[in-house]
Amino acid sequence: MAMRARQRIRAPRRGLTANKGDDFETNWADLSTSLKKIHTKDASNLSFEQLYRNSYNIVLMMRGEDLYERIKKLEQDWLDDEVKTRVTAAISSSLLLAKELAEVQDQANERREAGERFLAAMREAFEDHQLCMGMITDVLMYMDRVMSTDHRKPSIYAAAMALFRDHVLRSPIRSDAKTTVVDVLESTILFMIQLERSGQIIDRPLISHCVTMLEGLYETITEEESSKLYLTLFEPAFLDASKRFYQAEGRRLLETGDAATFCKVATDRLAEETERCMYTLASSTAPKIKEVLDRELIENNIAEVVNLEGTGVRQMLDNDRLDSLRSIYVLSARVDPKKTPLTTAVQKRIVEMGKEINAGAVELAQTPAEPKKPADKGEKAKKPAEKEKPVNQQTAAAIKWVDDILGLKKKFDNIWEDSFQSDHVMQSAITTSFSEFINSESRSSEYLSLFFDENLKKGIKGKTETEVDSLLDNGITLLRYVKDKDMFEAYYKKHLSRRLLMKRSVSMDAERQMISKMKLEVGNQFTQRLEAMFKDMTISEDLTASYKEHAKKTGDPNTKRIDLDINVLTSTMWPMEIMASATRDNVQLGCIYPKEVESVKQSFEQYYLGKHSGRKLSWQPTMGTADIRLEFPRSNGKIQRHELNVSTYAMVILLLFNDVPTGEFLTYTDIKERTRITDHDLIRNLQALAVAQKTRVLRKEPMSRDVKPTDKFFFNNDFQSPFLKVRIGVVSGSANKVESQDQRKETEKKMSEERGASIEAAIVRIMKQRKSLTHSKLMTEVLSQLSARFVPDVNMIKKRIESLIDREYLERVEEDPPTYGYVA
Amino acid sequence: MTTPEQDQEFVTLVSGDGFEFILPRSTACISKTLRMMFDPLSKFSEALTGRCVLENISGEVLEKVCEYLCYNEKNKDQVNVPDMEIPPELCLELLMAADYLDV
Repeated sequence: MAMRARQRIRAPRRGLTANKGDDFETNWADLSTSLKKIHTKDASNLSFEQLYRNSYNIVLMMRGEDLYERIKKLEQDWLDDEVKTRVTAAISSSLLLAKELAEVQDQANERREAGERFLAAMREAFEDHQLCMGMITDVLMYMDRVMSTDHRKPSIYAAAMALFRDHVLRSPIRSDAKTTVVDVLESTILFMIQLERSGQIIDRPLISHCVTMLEGLYETITEEESSKLYLTLFEPAFLDASKRFYQAEGRRLLETGDAATFCKVATDRLAEETERCMYTLASSTAPKIKEVLDRELIENNIAEVVNLEGTGVRQMLDNDRLDSLRSIYVLSARVDPKKTPLTTAVQKRIVEMGKEINAGAVELAQTPAEPKKPADKGEKAKKPAEKEKPVNQQTAAAIKWVDDILGLKKKFDNIWEDSFQSDHVMQSAITTSFSEFINSESRSSEYLSLFFDENLKKGIKGKTETEVDSLLDNGITLLRYVKDKDMFEAYYKKHLSRRLLMKRSVSMDAERQMISKMKLEVGNQFTQRLEAMFKDMTISEDLTASYKEHAKKTGDPNTKRIDLDINVLTSTMWPMEIMASATRDNVQLGCIYPKEVESVKQSFEQYYLGKHSGRKLSWQPTMGTADIRLEFPRSNGKIQRHELNVSTYAMVILLLFNDVPTGEFLTYTDIKERTRITDHDLIRNLQALAVAQKTRVLRKEPMSRDVKPTDKFFFNNDFQSPFLKVRIGVVSGSANKVESQDQRKETEKKMSEERGASIEAAIVRIMKQRKSLTHSKLMTEVLSQLSARFVPDVNMIKKRIESLIDREYLERVEEDPPTYGYVA
Repeated sequence: MTTPEQDQEFVTLVSGDGFEFILPRSTACISKTLRMMFDPLSKFSEALTGRCVLENISGEVLEKVCEYLCYNEKNKDQVNVPDMEIPPELCLELLMAADYLDV
């Protein structure tokens, strides 16, 4: 309000004050002496009002501009004469000399003192100037108000600051020198900072004051934020010097060659620079200097640091140097959100360690491979005991493999959580590496399944529920990495079926838990068949019970009748190959059962088919076992009883001897004709019965390891065993073990057949929905559909497409781009 | 603001013809000129003594100025305040004083 009022009434006032115009010189004389007093800090007996009135009067006399110019002149003279001399006087020669020889050590101290003196003088000069100008500006406020609004001149304060800049900072230090005061100032501050970086203590507030001065001065008179002298002059120089310093530092640290030290120093430096920006320089510099640090010290060197021989990430991982890993992670995270060098190093190490584990497993599997080969033959020569060991060793290799991987996984999980701050990029990197090396071991699915098998068979005995839980969880984690899940399913099914049929599983609860875990992990489809297997087992139990009931009701008078436990298995759900191996070369001739068994069998068949019409039962004697009671009449007239637990085939064979009078024999061919057991199974069973030392129920002539068609078999009346119950194992099928090469090929062949079918099914599914699709799109769709189960081979998909075209499910619609159509 | 010398609650304004007015410091400082004058950081005699002689303002006008300063201080946080009464004959002189004191 006041301002407006002034504008309006100026006209009448000018008339009123015009008569004082001749006072200008007196007023100015008064003013100028007073101003000089202010500069000499002698203001206490000056009256503000008087000075103010003086300038007020002058402005009213319309001589404001003259006043402004005169004051500027006055200030300029003052700065030139007094301040400059004082400041330049403080610049000692050592300060200038050392500028060229910045590194000379013995001059450092001298230079430092000189620098401090100079900075102090500088600070004092500026502070005085600031203070005086503050006072002068106050006094001249009225003039300022008029001049800056009416004549668009910068305030006298700004003008005086500009004068200071031009006449003090920008003045040459000596009349003949090119170096200006500000150059010296800059180099001195930089020198001080360098001193601090090399560990000496400097006068921080002093520097801070000088920096503030630079911040308070502007390049242009309009005082834009970006034209601060600090920003235009000092900061670039500072950043440049820092850059050079940290380049050198980086090189030096690399030469010392210790990654941990590097990380420590880098972290310290970061903190130090931040602190310096806070306390000594301007805080606005902090992000910039950090950027310099990040780029020069970290980014340019991190890759080398990570890979440093002997102390790099690799050794940190090996020795669990969590702290070092953490700091190196933090540093990498600063410069690169992907942390490429670190991730590659970690990945490389994981893969390396994984490969070691793989190699270890292979080695372990190979070591027994030599004894194993003869043992394979030894098997035929009736020495199952010897065979047991290498098999276990193989399995042990598999289990050790899984355990090792779990150990490794745990280690890296630890590191990840502790040192990598649970970073997602790191996690996915670790995951990728794990799956990479796990999948590089072609037997991983089998090993993993074996691991479960082993644990479910005996591993979980005496463990608490939580332990079992975590054990299974660990296994499942690995399953996540395995790409060929169908392979795993096949193995798991096989191992599971053995466990179920042979009743080897320790706890059905654990089995169910396992299935449900897998369901969570890889989906419904995956566990469908496994669940069906469990269902079959339960149904079979009921069936057996109800059959027994039925048999009792029909009142079979035969007291010597045979108890029958039966498992009816849905053929599509169970891995039939383990049972059907016998029928492959001898098409469905079936084995001839002794009449006692046959009658029971038929009775059950009747019963079962009566309940479910339209089903076909096929008997799998390879999988069964029988408990039989044998009486061994000793030569001394006593009778020794034993209960034998034997395979179905062995039972059939032994029952043959019921009809053979003592002392008589059956030849191999006899047995074969009367039982129609295939050679393969027959040999194996005869080996178990007549060769294995502890279970020699039959006597063979001639005594040899191999079973030949001409061999004669006697019932061994002298059978000895300390136990009443004797278990005669059939050599194969009793334990789950690592497959031999042939078996592997077999499995792989089956696998690829199955995959082919899956691929075809997927293709048809997709095409039915889309009607027509380009080749590449079809490919990606197929891949994405199947990726949950396995990673299909591209060639295989192509072949399947071809075959579907041949069978007229698909047709080629277009050639370019190749497009297929669905033929309904 | 509170070194012992300058720690004065009140300041004294003296008119050109010798009338003295004692005002609370905060009230006087509504005027920018007066504020700078009494700013304890400046080392002028006014700031040290807390007394200021305004040569070119008469007692009559200064009284009105002080009245306004108090009026302003009292009503600074309010809206719809009643207008202050200003005698027409002082109008011009008051305006000049206002310009001088920057209120």
